[in-house]
Amino acid sequence: MQKIKISRKEFITSTSFAGSGLMLGFLLPGIKAFAQTTNEPCEFFKPNAFLKIDTKGSITIYVARQEMGQGVNTSLPMIVADEMDADWRKVKTEIAPFGSLPEGSHDTGGSQSVLTDFTSLRKAGAVAKTMLIAAAAKLWNTTPDKCAADAGEVVNTVNMQRIAYGDLVCEAAKLEVPKEVTLKSPKDFKLIGKEQRKNNLKDILTGKTKYGIDLKIPGMLYASVERCLVPGGTLVSVDDSEAMKLPGVVKVVTYKGTGAPMHVRDGVAVVAKNIWTAMKARKLLKIKWDEGTKNKQNTTALFQQMVARSQQKPTIEKFKKGDISKFATTPSNSIAAVYKAPFLAHATMEPINFIASVKDGVCEVWGGLQLPDWTVNELVKQCGLKKENIKVNLALMGGGFGRRLHFEFAIEAVKISQLVNAPVKLINNRTDDIRFDNFRPANVHRLQASWDAKGTLQTWYHHVLSTSIAVMTDGPDTKNMAENLGGADSDFYYDVPNVTTGYSHVDFNINRGWLRSVEICMNSFPIECFIDEVARKLKKDPLAYRLSLLDGRPMFMTDEGPGAMKQYPQRIANVLKLAAEKIGYSKPRKKNHFIGVATHSFIFAKSYAAHAIEIEMLGPKKFRIVKVVGAIDCGIVVNPDGLRNQMEGGIAFALQQALKGEITVVNSRVVQDGFNGFELLRYSEMPPVEIYTIESEEEPGGVGEVGLPTVAPALCNALAAAGARSRTLPIRNEGFEWV
Amino acid sequence: MMMFDIQFYSIFLQIFFMASYQLNINNQQYKAEAEPDTPLLWILREWLDLTGTKFGCGVNTCGACNVLMNGRTVRSCQVQVRSCTGINITTIEGLSADGSHPVQRAWEEMSVPQCGYCQPGQMLALTGLLNQNKQPTDEQIDAVMSQQLCRCGTYHRIEKAVKRAIELSNQ
Ligand code: FES
Ligand code: FES
Repeated sequence: MQKIKISRKEFITSTSFAGSGLMLGFLLPGIKAFAQTTNEPCEFFKPNAFLKIDTKGSITIYVARQEMGQGVNTSLPMIVADEMDADWRKVKTEIAPFGSLPEGSHDTGGSQSVLTDFTSLRKAGAVAKTMLIAAAAKLWNTTPDKCAADAGEVVNTVNMQRIAYGDLVCEAAKLEVPKEVTLKSPKDFKLIGKEQRKNNLKDILTGKTKYGIDLKIPGMLYASVERCLVPGGTLVSVDDSEAMKLPGVVKVVTYKGTGAPMHVRDGVAVVAKNIWTAMKARKLLKIKWDEGTKNKQNTTALFQQMVARSQQKPTIEKFKKGDISKFATTPSNSIAAVYKAPFLAHATMEPINFIASVKDGVCEVWGGLQLPDWTVNELVKQCGLKKENIKVNLALMGGGFGRRLHFEFAIEAVKISQLVNAPVKLINNRTDDIRFDNFRPANVHRLQASWDAKGTLQTWYHHVLSTSIAVMTDGPDTKNMAENLGGADSDFYYDVPNVTTGYSHVDFNINRGWLRSVEICMNSFPIECFIDEVARKLKKDPLAYRLSLLDGRPMFMTDEGPGAMKQYPQRIANVLKLAAEKIGYSKPRKKNHFIGVATHSFIFAKSYAAHAIEIEMLGPKKFRIVKVVGAIDCGIVVNPDGLRNQMEGGIAFALQQALKGEITVVNSRVVQDGFNGFELLRYSEMPPVEIYTIESEEEPGGVGEVGLPTVAPALCNALAAAGARSRTLPIRNEGFEWV
Repeated sequence: MMMFDIQFYSIFLQIFFMASYQLNINNQQYKAEAEPDTPLLWILREWLDLTGTKFGCGVNTCGACNVLMNGRTVRSCQVQVRSCTGINITTIEGLSADGSHPVQRAWEEMSVPQCGYCQPGQMLALTGLLNQNKQPTDEQIDAVMSQQLCRCGTYHRIEKAVKRAIELSNQ
């Protein structure tokens, strides 16, 4: 199955599909190959690809989704372990080897891991438990219904005899894997819903954790790559005479860039015996680039172009309900506004790096890849390799946020290894990491709303404009260029009778990519600010006004057919109410203190979150954030500690974007070249935060991205309450200061 | 600029040669053959396989590479190997191998890390501060910890862990 990920929606669909394949897969005979193959000598019991128990009772759970800080190597094993009634202290985790599971099983993105795998992982645990119970029953000459599992042991419920899982391993391994198993009732969950610290916490704290960048392969060389600063620029010539003089430099190699999906640039790689020499020698290269004709672009002009374009009809109509043109709009019964947000970088703390070893057409790679199957397919196409000759070793990531959904670095590393005929570790320095990122698209929104004489909202118009990711990954003819999810599509959640939303792509020659929350962040900002503007114009309280358009509104489907998703306005209202209550929205406020709120649904992750932010104004455009309260409804919570960590970190991530994060381009060159230009949030800037969760028995939703979208609008709404609205992010560009 | 770099390096090469350095790291003796200007960061990571010390930027902007030199926090990307002899170097691996150092314990209690990549640097930044001052003020803590970047945004927990580490260190 070839995966060309185009839109988020598509991506999610294909991921979920892979997930359901996996769910069936482990019960299918074909998958047995990945389960136990031998009983002799009896050392372990491995009923499926997800877990193994050894004779000492120690349990290894293989995690297919990849850990990048979001906590899957704790939350996913918790699901398996709970269902098998394991003793959590005996559980360790390993990365499930690539190739041991159906294609797509390792895809990690869109906050989908828990959501997609919940049932299949529970089944995997239940299979093990069922077999262990059957083994005990056999041993005791009784029937399985007279036995129960409890904390790593099977109990004979008649005579209360107990036997440890480890002692049942040999017996269980002989049994047939059951075709059907019964799952626990959620009220019997023992691990799910209980705080668990990260599985690899101790290793992290003692420096033992190996991330991709820490791996070493025998005979490995190091590469540092010079790329043209202008996307699409081509290499004319390189003089490497000075670079080659440095002791330790092995070779300077060049390769051609590629087009869609990953747009690898022409590169000149210095390959050396150590990374320091490679980095030093790179500075000695004398390179001539042909920048091509698209070398004069800049982001200031792009925004002007987008704003101008926003006044015209959208290229694509995304959602239409009623007819906005039937309602007479006058200046006194309507408002309109334009919002802007910039390109953004991922800036994972672990700079992009990758190891490739190609010899005689046989290729092995090591590193973090959020979409390894797609990567392999592209390596086949772009590097002349055979699929069966590619071995992927997945590695822990020092931050992901969508950066490693892209994999241009893997193609580069493989090409370099092919050229030097040796294993090579490519390491981007921080400047490379920022400049050659795949940036969250720049976006502009035009919104218009109007109301009747009673002040009831009658029309809502939203034109989204961005530099589409799909146009980059898929080419200009893509059917999936629109980036409207998050309320600018059929998922629009406020109850308004006449709605039109649309999309226009505005081209810009720069690599774009998925960055944590992508278009849901892009669209929640204008929507949640604009609804606030409408309320204020109508002299209504912004919280009560939102609730009047949400509360009591029944669930609706976004579409018809298989792609349809459920939208729950009530859950959107509930998280909003919780955040507002916890920040003390209805209580008297101190002088110069203001509160802003925002809410949303992260629809394809089946989670809902709202934020309420209290600020103190210290000057006309100077403020201090007093407190941020986040509220989330993600159905059943697997690991409350992990959930809170994601939500807290989400606030930091989103505040960086609201306050100061941006990538600008001048003469087709990215201006920011490190953490000095693309500034992250700092310790002293982190406000007090509180996270609250709605108790729920709904199916579990994703949490990795859900904590971001409502932070920026809540902040800007607080500023608006103080009379200083910003419709542009980051707000630093509008002259705001914070302490 | 380019011309300057080239001249700089060719002069550099004539003055310095590959040499052998004796380093005291985590109370063990290590030997590294390297160019004198090689940053300690890469010596630790690539020569000695002490990969707990992280590369985040290489240019003094993130603190992922922190180590202790005679007890003080130093950014290992900013010191050349030739100036590291005769100094007691402590990396995260040597703070305590079992995680029993008060700072590590505090980090564990508060369940701080997400990806964890920045955390060795965070912990060593605080350790260096506490080595000098067991009861730092909030301002002093802010001044040090605000130089440490965490992209996952674990600052809220770091703050709690800092407070807890101070308690534990003073017990
Ligand atoms: S790697 Fe040394 S400060 Fe960033
Ligand atoms: S925990 Fe990931 S960068 Fe700090």
